[in-house]
Amino acid sequence: MDSISQKHIENSKSQIIVIFILCIVTFLFAIFAMGWGSSSNLDVLTTMKILFGLESADQLQSDIIWKLRFPRILMAIVGGAALATAGALMQGCLGNPLVSPLTLGVASGAALGAAFAIVLGFSIVSSSELAIVANAFLFSLIVVAIIIQLGNIRSISAESYILVGIAITFIAGAIVSTMQYFATDAQLSQLAHWSFGSLSRPTLENALLVSLVVIALMPSALKWSWDLNALSLGGDDFAKSTGVNPESTRVRILILSALMTSVVIAFTGLIGFLGLAAPHMSRLIVGNDYRKLIPCSCVFGALLMLFADTVGRTLFAPVVIPVGIMLSVIGGPFFMYLLLKGKGAGH
Amino acid sequence: MNEILDVENLNFSWGRNHVLKDASISIGENELVAILGVNGAGKSTLLKCINKILTPSSGKIRISGDDIAQYNLAKLATKVSYVPQSVLTSFSMDVFDVVLLGRRPHITWRISDKDRDMVSETLRYLGLEDFAFRRFDQLSGGERQRVIIAKAIAQDPCLLLMDEPTSDLDLKNQIEVMKRMREIVSDTSKPKSALIAIHDINVAARFADRIVLLHQGEIMAEGTPETVLTEENIAEVFGVTSSIVEKTRYKPLRVIIQDEIVKSEEE
Repeated sequence: MDSISQKHIENSKSQIIVIFILCIVTFLFAIFAMGWGSSSNLDVLTTMKILFGLESADQLQSDIIWKLRFPRILMAIVGGAALATAGALMQGCLGNPLVSPLTLGVASGAALGAAFAIVLGFSIVSSSELAIVANAFLFSLIVVAIIIQLGNIRSISAESYILVGIAITFIAGAIVSTMQYFATDAQLSQLAHWSFGSLSRPTLENALLVSLVVIALMPSALKWSWDLNALSLGGDDFAKSTGVNPESTRVRILILSALMTSVVIAFTGLIGFLGLAAPHMSRLIVGNDYRKLIPCSCVFGALLMLFADTVGRTLFAPVVIPVGIMLSVIGGPFFMYLLLKGKGAGH
Repeated sequence: MNEILDVENLNFSWGRNHVLKDASISIGENELVAILGVNGAGKSTLLKCINKILTPSSGKIRISGDDIAQYNLAKLATKVSYVPQSVLTSFSMDVFDVVLLGRRPHITWRISDKDRDMVSETLRYLGLEDFAFRRFDQLSGGERQRVIIAKAIAQDPCLLLMDEPTSDLDLKNQIEVMKRMREIVSDTSKPKSALIAIHDINVAARFADRIVLLHQGEIMAEGTPETVLTEENIAEVFGVTSSIVEKTRYKPLRVIIQDEIVKSEEE
């Protein structure tokens, strides 16, 4: 084999090894996080034994791990993976490093749905527990439907999608603000708490449901990685010259990322920073080749969310700081450091 | 001679602006055809219509006898590759991976050793082996242009469309790239042809089998460099006076541009 080809294979292998190491770190950190908390602290080995049924735990320990921490950690991993992947997909298909999964207005739609449930008591389901989740998901699906309709308009540009997303955000924001104006203090508090983004809310069933949806959607993201490479590298004309239809690819990818985002934020509330920062951090690790960037963003997003949530629930225990806040507090400076360091290194 | 490309009565408009008017050209196997014309003559539009980047208002385009209307972009990309005037990157990649995108129409997801070796060979062929693992956005304009040409060659099409492929290249690389294109097209073991929009008349005269002179969206003249590049045609199309140095056994035809033609107000 040609020496250049050989070097390309070696480079790819080393990037895959890095992703694999990130997977192991995430797994170990998840075990550690499961044993660590305000109510009881267990070492990694004991936690693993309890998790895999090798050691009999008392009922309290078992409940803390399985009922309290496991759903939360599973949601952190799946939610982080989904939001980071959605961010990478959106940035690639719109050819814009500034976009995040929330750019299209999916989050604003979800916030509007939540506000309808909290302030007006209007919901598509009768169960009060699921009212906010169902509304948030339905309203974000309405945004997805708008995206599909936009895709039917011939040759709509990437910039137009972003501008429509900004318009949706403003419109939804205005309606939510109006509702906030007339809301009671209790409703305002509930709405504000929802908008922080928290992993306290999802139950085990919720986390498993989100996991199933995200796992089902993830192969499509990988399948379209070649198309994303062509679109993100050289724009529409370049993509067409490599056999990629930019318009249909963009619609497919936007719908995919909007669905991934909707299903997560419906249960967690608004988590914005991760979808912007995790893909960029992953780009510093594996570059911009989407065949590696998607798996790397997925794992890195999971690790980042897990880390932020673990710090958030243990730093000032028993007070739990919502993960949306922690992500910005921890991730923001780390993101800036990596970007500036990368700039110095010629990235 | 089998036809690789057959364009028949092609029309394209941007609103009321008719960019291409009944343009018809055909290219046979192993032919290098240059399109000459002033800015806005319709050269890029013609290439983009052939590559389905733009949709013509009427007319037929056939590749190896097949109407491209029945091809989707993926199928067309296995037969036609395109080098745009410039590529603005949002997210850059290593040069190797950029050229590897040329193999995208031929592969589903997994890259085979054959694909990798084709990329490596193409990089060596264009003298880009030292750039293989440098980032595309860190290269100069000329180097980037050569990388995009490498991507188009690695695509292994039967028709190469190139829109001013030498505009950012220095003199040495202009000659080098055109020589390579000539070699690729002249290799009769593979039926490959090239249609190249170019501004340098002398480069076109030296390397092209035929020249198409495009003027205000219409094909004004078509044929060998000797028949097309006349002082009258050049004056008509480019608005400059010139003198032609005839082709000899050792030197190609050369056009020496003298001055612009200033039209009097009465005209």
